Amino acid sequence: MIYVDNITKEFKKTIKQPGLLGSFKSLFNPKTEKIKAVDGISFHVPKGEILGFIGPNGAGKSTVIKMLTGILTPSSGTCSIDGRIPQKDRKNYVREIGVVFGQRTQLWWDLPLTETYAVLKEIYEVEDSAYKRKMELLNEVLDLQDFIKSPVRTLSLGQRMRADIAASLLHSPKVLFLDEPTIGLDVVVKDNIRRAIAQINAEEKTTVILTTHDLSDIELLADRIVMIDKGRNVFDGTVGELKQNYGQMRELNFELQRAEDKALLDYGKHFGLGEDDLKVISDGVNVTVRFNSELVPVGDMLSYTLSQVHLSDISVKDADIEEIIRRLYKKEVRIDA
Amino acid sequence: MRRFFRTYLPFSRAGVQMMLAYRSDFLFHLIGEMLMCIVMYFVWFAVFESSNGSTFMGFSMTDMTVYLFISFVTSYLTYSDGAIALGEEIRDGSIVMRMIKPVSFDMTFLFQELGGRCIEVIIALVPMCVCVEAYKFCVTGSVMFNPVCFLLFLLSTVLAYLVSFYFNVCYGFTAFFLKNLWGSNVLKDAIISFLSGSRIPLAFMPPLLQGLLTFLPFASLSYIPVMIYMGMYDGMTIFKSMLLQAFWLLAFWALSKLIWRLAMKRLCVQGG
Repeated sequence: MIYVDNITKEFKKTIKQPGLLGSFKSLFNPKTEKIKAVDGISFHVPKGEILGFIGPNGAGKSTVIKMLTGILTPSSGTCSIDGRIPQKDRKNYVREIGVVFGQRTQLWWDLPLTETYAVLKEIYEVEDSAYKRKMELLNEVLDLQDFIKSPVRTLSLGQRMRADIAASLLHSPKVLFLDEPTIGLDVVVKDNIRRAIAQINAEEKTTVILTTHDLSDIELLADRIVMIDKGRNVFDGTVGELKQNYGQMRELNFELQRAEDKALLDYGKHFGLGEDDLKVISDGVNVTVRFNSELVPVGDMLSYTLSQVHLSDISVKDADIEEIIRRLYKKEVRIDA
Repeated sequence: MRRFFRTYLPFSRAGVQMMLAYRSDFLFHLIGEMLMCIVMYFVWFAVFESSNGSTFMGFSMTDMTVYLFISFVTSYLTYSDGAIALGEEIRDGSIVMRMIKPVSFDMTFLFQELGGRCIEVIIALVPMCVCVEAYKFCVTGSVMFNPVCFLLFLLSTVLAYLVSFYFNVCYGFTAFFLKNLWGSNVLKDAIISFLSGSRIPLAFMPPLLQGLLTFLPFASLSYIPVMIYMGMYDGMTIFKSMLLQAFWLLAFWALSKLIWRLAMKRLCVQGG
């Protein structure tokens, strides 16, 4: 369905010299430097899959989405969606896709929501009967009826995002691009939106590409993850594979009977763990130990702790995808530095 | 062709609704412009009172009155600011929301603005023309309304609007360099209102300047339709003037397409 083959995108950035004189200088003799925002990314998404596209801020996620939606042209490499090249024949290509940029809206600010939908219906040439059916479905999954007659400027962020997602689905696109669809939303609305995406994906076999910083979006929705950093692929696989490949970080939480017992514990020295695989945070009698359970089994960790100090409470937390990704992001930074 | 209108007419409808959503703003603006026009009337009235002859540079006071009011309504109708919004959208990057739709950007702006213009024709142009004709009847005692001239005037006004629209599209692109268009917009409007003859008839200018200004695009924005309305032009001049309007329309259209292609390359910088 979606093939991305070794695409790169370079931006020319003008370096502005400081001050008014500098502004004039750069007006006539601009100094530019090339920045590689995307550097040889490849992936493939089969039809009907939900792909989670993640990476730290500035990793190049949005740039990739913009190239896939035909807004930007890749400097090199190719991408094709359903056999089409996004940059060629833009008007016909965008009929096949739906796009939501979480930070922007495609709704008409001053008009009731229904008017936006009526305009979209004409733009995409949706039949009356299909439009009616679609609106019923979207109403059901996204709960639009309460505010569908209100001007868009009066909607809350959560309502607006639901309305925006509905607007991108009106013409039954084959591919749906969601660029941070849950940004700034409360838990209930996030949940609502996730369920809607899952349902549309299941019912219409819509292929979804989703970028997000909220990893529960990924855990609950994505079949697969592509992670990029500094414009390069870092990981491509399922959530399960991510957990397997990138070590099992566990978290040990306990409460000491006496705060000064802390001095008796030296995990790093005892197990020979480096900074990457161990982190100890303590606050009074409460101690949190994050460690790589592949290097040190949980049992060893527990018995060492219990042999050294007296505890009043203890718990072990499971591998956390967020922790894995945090480690992954950090590692990338180190390799490049 | 039918599909074209099916696609873009909803934009006009939305334009009408947006105008109605801010109807008080629209009315205040119209009233403000009207008051300005009435002030100008009294200024010219004083000029004619103090001059010796009954005509001034070939204009009688009646001509001048008709000129003032028709010129006012023409420049009001041909004023285009939708394109400024285009510049704004390019600058803040929200233009991408238009790019993900199967539509042309300039057409969406054009049709959206045309929706509002339809209301203005009803609210401003029709009453104004009725008043002007009634005034002419009162002064001269005979009906001088010429339907052919009026139709040609309408056609020329449409051309004038389109020239204005594409001129402003080109202007909107300067947002790339100027970042904020408000100040330069005031300057641009002042220059245009002078050079287009909407404040002072171009016929009052020195011959050399007049000759030059007639060929510059500004005359196409309001002076030509007004002259046609007043019956100041003969058939040949009307034909030539409209041809000139068509030329400027084509020129600005082509220029806007060219700038757009260059702008697309620059748009990269705003990405992220």
